[in-house]
Amino acid sequence: MKLFFRLGLLSALLLTMGCGPTNVAKTNNDVGMQTNSKYVSTVEPKGAIPVGEAREVIADGQEVTLVGLIGGSSKPFVDGLAAFTIVDPKVPYCADEEGCPTPWDYCCQTDAVKQNIATIKVVDEAGKLVAGNVKELLNVKELSTVVVQGKAKRDDQGNLTVAANQVYVRPGE
Amino acid sequence: MLLPWEYGVRNLARRPVRTALTLVALATVVMLVFVVVGFIRGLEQSLAVSGDENVVLVYSVNSEENIENSSIAPSSPSVLAASLDSAVKRYGVLHVSPELFLGTRVKTGAGEGGLGLVRGVSLTAPLVRRSVKLVEGNWPGDGEVIIGRLVAAKLGSSTDAMAIGNSIDFEGKQWRISGRFTAGGAAYESEIWCKLSDFQTTTKRQDISLVAMLLSPTGSAAEVELFCKERTDLELRSIRETEYYAMLQQHYKPVRMLAWFVVVLVSGAGIFAGLNMMYGAVAGRIREIAMLQAIGYRRRAILISLVQEGVLLAAAGSLLSGVIALTLLNGMAIRFTMGAFTLRIDSVAILIGCGVGLLLGVLGALPPAFKALRAEVATSLKAV
Repeated sequence: MKLFFRLGLLSALLLTMGCGPTNVAKTNNDVGMQTNSKYVSTVEPKGAIPVGEAREVIADGQEVTLVGLIGGSSKPFVDGLAAFTIVDPKVPYCADEEGCPTPWDYCCQTDAVKQNIATIKVVDEAGKLVAGNVKELLNVKELSTVVVQGKAKRDDQGNLTVAANQVYVRPGE
Repeated sequence: MLLPWEYGVRNLARRPVRTALTLVALATVVMLVFVVVGFIRGLEQSLAVSGDENVVLVYSVNSEENIENSSIAPSSPSVLAASLDSAVKRYGVLHVSPELFLGTRVKTGAGEGGLGLVRGVSLTAPLVRRSVKLVEGNWPGDGEVIIGRLVAAKLGSSTDAMAIGNSIDFEGKQWRISGRFTAGGAAYESEIWCKLSDFQTTTKRQDISLVAMLLSPTGSAAEVELFCKERTDLELRSIRETEYYAMLQQHYKPVRMLAWFVVVLVSGAGIFAGLNMMYGAVAGRIREIAMLQAIGYRRRAILISLVQEGVLLAAAGSLLSGVIALTLLNGMAIRFTMGAFTLRIDSVAILIGCGVGLLLGVLGALPPAFKALRAEVATSLKAV
């Protein structure tokens, strides 16, 4: 009976402890490591402007260099396509100590995000959207700071999309 | 040398009342396991079959995981259709279904009722929701609804009250039931469907909740997702229907974990009850066990015989419970927050239920048997 009691006690202890994952977002310190992708630039392009400013001054078809943080929704990456959204670095996101599991969705800044968001499509030499997992392709993750260079596409509703063939990922940001 | 098989079987018949009581206790424990596992399997199955791999749901980015809270512009279906060629188009009909979905208080003609799920749909809905089959009656006209197989369970009302021709009330209007539908166990079976325009007029809403698109073989969910990301002004998000229901599965994970915990608790309680009973059964047979040892049977042989008795009883209890569960519990409708689903006594439930039953037989018999065999033969022979 002692054995049963000990086994019961051990089971109860294990059940109490649980094994749930910690759901607090990690910082992106390991981002910016080397990748062999031809779409990743090793040199940061000069004259990058933040997303919010670009939405005001950039016209349709114009070449643009944009800087922003990957985010804007709980799922900023498009599954199966090399496309993602970036947000102006001036828009604050939840700090680590707030314990938000998805700070990249800017849940407390939804109004600010609307005017400071752009969609980035990574395209090949022919201008065709690249298929695949963008996280692996560019070695990026949510809240990575990226500088993209490409052609802007604007519509009447003010949306901004950039077809970029080179993406620079700022290391450690 | 082992004891004859018949020895164990006859021993069970020697004490019919004790055997019957133990059988009932074991069968009750196994039945409880069947109920809880059937609940979990029913919930899982309902969510698993609800999604169609080829259907993409487009809804408001602000509603996150809850489509009932979603509100998007009524022009969204036409914008999507004009911008994407991902949806199936047959005989000029695009398989895109605009829907208004909400939970509201529903009252039956008999005065019963509760929180029901109502979906305003157009004629394209059955083209996209391919599992839906109208099994009785007609497609709803103005002021009419069709009801899913589990709506009565969801509302806690009788099936008679939901018969075709009867009326139900919601959103301040009386609706006539014009038909009944099934959906192969999917979540829609606990929903009430009516005409979208009619529902919009009644609720004084012009918006819709979502757009469901059936993807063509060349279409891709990623294209729809990219469109939603590019058109940030529309504030849309898209998700495959299967992923949406997988997300709901995650949402209900604590419930399922709790239910599995109940299975463990019930099984544990059953094992202790079994132990208690077997201790009593073996305690009354100390002289018999000592006699068997005295005439030359080894302890291992006696132990196996005692375990055989326990397993026989447990197997009988499991079979009894299995038959009752399959005939009476399987398919029983259960009301739940997200709608309703049926208890599902499937192969997994049978395996777990019977496995727990047999485990009770083995684990319940071992400790008392060890205890009896550890005693001195001479002392045990004199035991009263």
